[in-house]
Amino acid sequence: MRELTVIEAVREALGDEMARDERVVVLGEDVGKLGGVFRATEGLLERFGARRVVDMPMAETVIAGVAVGLAMRGLRPVAEIQFADFIHAAMDHLVGEAAKVRWRTGGDWSCPMVLRTAYGGGFRGGPYHSQSVEAFYAHAPGLKVVAPSTPADAKGLLIAAIRDPDPVLVLEHKRTYRAIRGHVPEGDYVVPIGRASVAREGRDATVLAYGMMLHESLAAAESLASDGIDVEVVDLRTLAPLDRATILDSLAKTRRLCVVHEDTITMGLGAELCALAAEADVLDVPPVRVAMPDIPGIPVDDVLEDAVLPNRATIRDALIRLVARERTRAHDTPRARAFDSAIPQASSIVEVALPAEHTRVAVDALVEAAGAFPRCNATFAWTGIVEHPDVVVDLDLGPSAPARGLGTITLVDYGADGSDLAIPFVRPGQTAAVRIGAVRDGRAYVACAVDHRAVDGADVGRFLAAFKAAAERDRRLRVTAHAG
Amino acid sequence: MTSQERERAYRALSLARALDDRMWRLARAGRAHFAVPCSGHEAIGIGYALAMRPGVDWLAPHYRDLAALIVLGMSPRDVMLCFFSRPSDPNAHGRQPYAHFGSRALHVLSQQGPQPNHCSHGVGCAWGSQLLDDGSVTVIAFGDGGAQKGEVHESMNVAAIHKLPCVFVVHRNGWTQSVAREDQYATQTLVARAAGYGMPGIAVDGMDVEAMHAAASEAIERARAGGGPTLIDAACVRFMPNTSNDDDSRYRDRAEVDALRASGDPLLRARALVDAQFAAAVDAENAALADDAAEWAEAQPLGDPATVADHAYA
Repeated sequence: MRELTVIEAVREALGDEMARDERVVVLGEDVGKLGGVFRATEGLLERFGARRVVDMPMAETVIAGVAVGLAMRGLRPVAEIQFADFIHAAMDHLVGEAAKVRWRTGGDWSCPMVLRTAYGGGFRGGPYHSQSVEAFYAHAPGLKVVAPSTPADAKGLLIAAIRDPDPVLVLEHKRTYRAIRGHVPEGDYVVPIGRASVAREGRDATVLAYGMMLHESLAAAESLASDGIDVEVVDLRTLAPLDRATILDSLAKTRRLCVVHEDTITMGLGAELCALAAEADVLDVPPVRVAMPDIPGIPVDDVLEDAVLPNRATIRDALIRLVARERTRAHDTPRARAFDSAIPQASSIVEVALPAEHTRVAVDALVEAAGAFPRCNATFAWTGIVEHPDVVVDLDLGPSAPARGLGTITLVDYGADGSDLAIPFVRPGQTAAVRIGAVRDGRAYVACAVDHRAVDGADVGRFLAAFKAAAERDRRLRVTAHAG
Repeated sequence: MTSQERERAYRALSLARALDDRMWRLARAGRAHFAVPCSGHEAIGIGYALAMRPGVDWLAPHYRDLAALIVLGMSPRDVMLCFFSRPSDPNAHGRQPYAHFGSRALHVLSQQGPQPNHCSHGVGCAWGSQLLDDGSVTVIAFGDGGAQKGEVHESMNVAAIHKLPCVFVVHRNGWTQSVAREDQYATQTLVARAAGYGMPGIAVDGMDVEAMHAAASEAIERARAGGGPTLIDAACVRFMPNTSNDDDSRYRDRAEVDALRASGDPLLRARALVDAQFAAAVDAENAALADDAAEWAEAQPLGDPATVADHAYA
């Protein structure tokens, strides 16, 4: 199988299309004798002559504007802006003109132009030779934006762009030009605009990426495979219009989203992709974005540039965080079961069979239940909940023998003169208190109050059930829950 | 100019003025959004439109080029559809305000808002003529306000480098809306700029339709013969405010404008070139055409919201 680098694939696409269609002309700075600063147009001047391969003045506005005019006349201009950083002078023609011509003339005119430019950092180009500009242009309806990552897509998407009836901005990541090599089909090879591809299949999370970040994302995904994290990586390929179907299919499967781009984070493509996922309601946990921080430029300093650009390590870290995220959405949280046989129906009050003299039985049952549910034998503090290793029962037997305020749990029991049912107060430093009502006909209501900052309501029910079971065990007394 | 050309010139100028007057009044009456008067500029466009080969040459128009469009074949009803921004307007289909001209059938490039971005489009169009070797010439017209933009510099430079078959015509009325000539450029005229690009420059009285036609003919034939572009500096007076949204009493003396109008109105000067009876008959005919066009176009339906996204892409 024949392998090419990305830049060789771009060159092949240009040459093939110029040979196939004589309406195709190439224009830009240094595209002639020099063959382009990245050599994308190398050899084209010799093959096709100076009429069709035109060196332009250093004037980005007119490069784009002339391409608009050529396209309106029915030619197929392929303009090159050396660095995406210089494209802003051409923006008026791309966004104000090329993108609008067809719409503003009710379809009478069209603008089938291509503008290629090299974008992206990672090679110490500094703030004016490293920018990612896709968000500005993907925001302009009427314009199509493609960003190939592989040599095959670089060829197939460029050919599709040249043949497209509408204006297409082709963003070529300059680091991929020579770093990425791969199989490229020979001859006529078109990759349809508007279709993403699944570069790596996985179950646990989806990465959406393009350009050099696609390769960094794939490396991160590979490194996580041995940890049992199975990441799907989708190569967007076309940034406008987005391939919503492929993106949403992947998210419907993994339900976790990580977007990676070199562009700065705020209002970047990731914002739109996260919104797309949110609106489609396909995520189980909040998405993560791995992108450049919001600083005005990419610094040229080796350490600083490496610090601001995403890479396989930062993507890997983000994926680990993403996969570890708890499901936060209510409807995906496993619901409490409708009936838990361990919880009596009136879960903060139970009816317990007790003899008239029952203090020892009750204390033993409380110790046993508290041992089984240590959150009810604890101290709450904002720094954490301390569960006590021992159960110290603070007995409150009424005005003559009140609780001493010590102990880890309080048992209130005023005997036969007390009320049938009363709610105890939880004392400071404790998380639970239990009160036994007056025994009538061998039975008493037992109520429990807790500090809900420490103890869940369901556990109160389970705790009382344990108390009841312990109090009635081996005494062959009838066990009934209050049917309340 | 032949006598036939003089009559055509007068007919177009008279119609442009009749339409201009009605659009101004209708906009002031709130019947339409936006009027862009062309009075004072008409002879310039008529000059080059008559010198162009119909159906062959191309025009990247100035937004005050109504008279040129009439010569090239735009009907009064189409002009009024554009003015009322109806979806059946062949220029902008109700999607752009009046004066954003464009017609593939008439070889008029679609006009945009930001001035004068069409300069480089016109250069691309002329480059297309060279590549297609079809012998066509592109006339690129813009105002002296627009001429101060880098767009024009870059466009003229590229056209000169490649000897592209085009003609740059600056409608020099001395105002960029409210900004006077001396705050736009330090020279009295712009014709000297031609030399800076290595192209011929012609200074002409843009309110004299014969002089304008002669200058345009020379430039267009030079371009067609492979002699490259020419810059024509066509002096004129903007008789009216910049648009219906402008109040020129805030920045210029109306009496001065009226005096210039009295002495130099291209309509009066063109009328002197034709038979008086012919002129009177044409004026009456054009008044009726303009009235009919306005009445008819205003009655045409407005857009259907279901179509608003149509033609965003092919």
